[in-house]
Amino acid sequence: MNAMPASASLSAGADERRALAFLADLSQALALSLDLRETLDRALTRIADFMQAEAASLFLLDAAGVLECRICVGPVDITGLKVEIGQGVVGRAVAENATQVVLDAQTDARVNASVDAETGFVSRSMLCAPLSTAQGAIGALEVINRRDGGLFAQSDAEILRLIAAPAALAINNARLVQGLVEQQRMKRELELARKIQKSLLPKRRRDDFPIIGVNLPAHEISGDFYDYFDLPDGRIAFIVGDVSGKGLDAAFLMVRAASLLRWAGKSGPSPAHWLTEVNVELCKTMTDGRFLCAVVGLYERKTGTVVLASAGFPPALLQDDLHFEEFPADGPPLGIIAEAVYDERRIELGRRALYLFSDGATDIRDENRQTLGADGLRALIAGHATLGPEPRLRALINDLKHLRLVDDTTFLLLQEPAGKAAHRVLELEFPAQPAEMRAVRAALRAALDGQEVAPELRDRLVLVVDEACTNVMRHAYCGFCDQTITLRLNRERDMLAFEIADHAPAIDPARVKPRDLDDCRPGGLGVAFIDSLMDEWRIEPGRDGKGNVLHMRKRITIGEHE
Amino acid sequence: MSGTANECVSENLGDYVVVRLKGEVDLSWSQQVRKTILDALGECGKVGVELSQVSYIDSSGIAALVEGFQNARTKGGKFGLVAASNPVMSVLQLARLDKVCPLFASIEAARGA
Repeated sequence: MNAMPASASLSAGADERRALAFLADLSQALALSLDLRETLDRALTRIADFMQAEAASLFLLDAAGVLECRICVGPVDITGLKVEIGQGVVGRAVAENATQVVLDAQTDARVNASVDAETGFVSRSMLCAPLSTAQGAIGALEVINRRDGGLFAQSDAEILRLIAAPAALAINNARLVQGLVEQQRMKRELELARKIQKSLLPKRRRDDFPIIGVNLPAHEISGDFYDYFDLPDGRIAFIVGDVSGKGLDAAFLMVRAASLLRWAGKSGPSPAHWLTEVNVELCKTMTDGRFLCAVVGLYERKTGTVVLASAGFPPALLQDDLHFEEFPADGPPLGIIAEAVYDERRIELGRRALYLFSDGATDIRDENRQTLGADGLRALIAGHATLGPEPRLRALINDLKHLRLVDDTTFLLLQEPAGKAAHRVLELEFPAQPAEMRAVRAALRAALDGQEVAPELRDRLVLVVDEACTNVMRHAYCGFCDQTITLRLNRERDMLAFEIADHAPAIDPARVKPRDLDDCRPGGLGVAFIDSLMDEWRIEPGRDGKGNVLHMRKRITIGEHE
Repeated sequence: MSGTANECVSENLGDYVVVRLKGEVDLSWSQQVRKTILDALGECGKVGVELSQVSYIDSSGIAALVEGFQNARTKGGKFGLVAASNPVMSVLQLARLDKVCPLFASIEAARGA
């Protein structure tokens, strides 16, 4: 009898040491685990053995907040069994985040009898410890029935609680790692999607190209896009689009819409027809309330004319220094009504600037979360009115970046670059005598060659300048004299500007008229030549009121033969 | 071509006079060209102006040719432009004279016309 307490305490001490050793062993196995699933599998068997339990099971909370048996050992397999939080012993352990001890399973109200009924297993005694983490219980560890037929003791519950701790820690860590890996993967994929989207935008064109585009995505991926390309007839086609919604599906739609718009624009259709065609196509496939706002247009540099059509896109903004004009949409967004009709409008752009921007530009918020709005945007643009197109757009983007982008923002600026200052190509002062003209022609021919003027046009320009000079000699100076003629040739972009100045008495410009070329007679051809070749010509009095200056202008196309 | 010296020579072939022009025909000597052509027409009713070596011609040179053409027509003579160079053709076209003045590829063709 004496031995009993001693033996019991000894046994209790031995149990404790055994438990500590087991716990240390288990913790290490879990901490070092490379494959948590397999480690937990083996750990559960060892826990069942250590606890002298007939069965053991591990339940984890799934994403839906339901507990599911993920691993079990024992006579019946309950893997996949689902339990609501708060239901049964396991559900209660998680709900209360407290270890449950059931001494008589057959009478305990906490026990869900249906499991036994279904499996044929007879539960007598149970212990269930929650898998506790800082964020609350993430599951539970349960052992059922002592193998010796006895009941679990409170101390057994304590041991199970201790065992549950490193298991919870290991599972939680594994989940965090897995979450991070998943996040990294998503991030990489979004970056890739962004790269693909960016690759769809046209490359920036230099060399005085009149269109500049900018796309500022609010997130990794964008529902906005722009495009421009040359048509075979020399016109430039351009597109700006904004897909409704955000995120991946909007981005995918953007890719589809961008290629559809480009494809439909390749043949240079009228913008209204262009939109109609894309709209019909998009209506066939667009569902779930998505749509596309877009503006398409054609720009002819020669004439400075823009024709554009807008499908629900924010108004195009035409800037003339500090004055603005708006052009509202010509029809509804694309992809909504297959029968939609679009108008188009013609804008004589000249040297003015046309801005096309997605609604992200006006939705931009300031520090007080107030939206910028159309007026705010105009004010920003006007603030940079003195800058050339490219620095102006850069300054504008810089302004916007100091505000808060809430939506994808896209800008397309259409404007002829500010002409480089006209430069003098040739200046010759020579005696007003016909014998001088051979040398003048040679000098002019060389100067025009230097400007890469096509030979045929060059020869005609030489002829016309010669005619103008000899007319001065014959009609202004009235024959040979000791006065001089000054020939100047200026180049402004693709324009050749000729000036022929004399010191003769003022002539009446109204009397200098081209004759009809169909009228076959010897004289008066010179003015007719000038009139037929030059884009414009006029005679003005000289700068100081003396003499006359003939101005002639001719636009040339570099490298293209007339 | 612009280096070619100006030259205007008439050559009498009996029943036909060929006026050979060379160089750049401009106001500085187109009066001389005009006179040579009109003299040739006075000498013989049939004149051809050979233009293959002309690298430039201005409206005063064209005027000399037109005057020769009109002179011959008035007198019932014959006047032709022979082997016009590209620069000459270009100005004739500009002046819309290519459809008015008879053009020939060679002196033989002009004489036979």
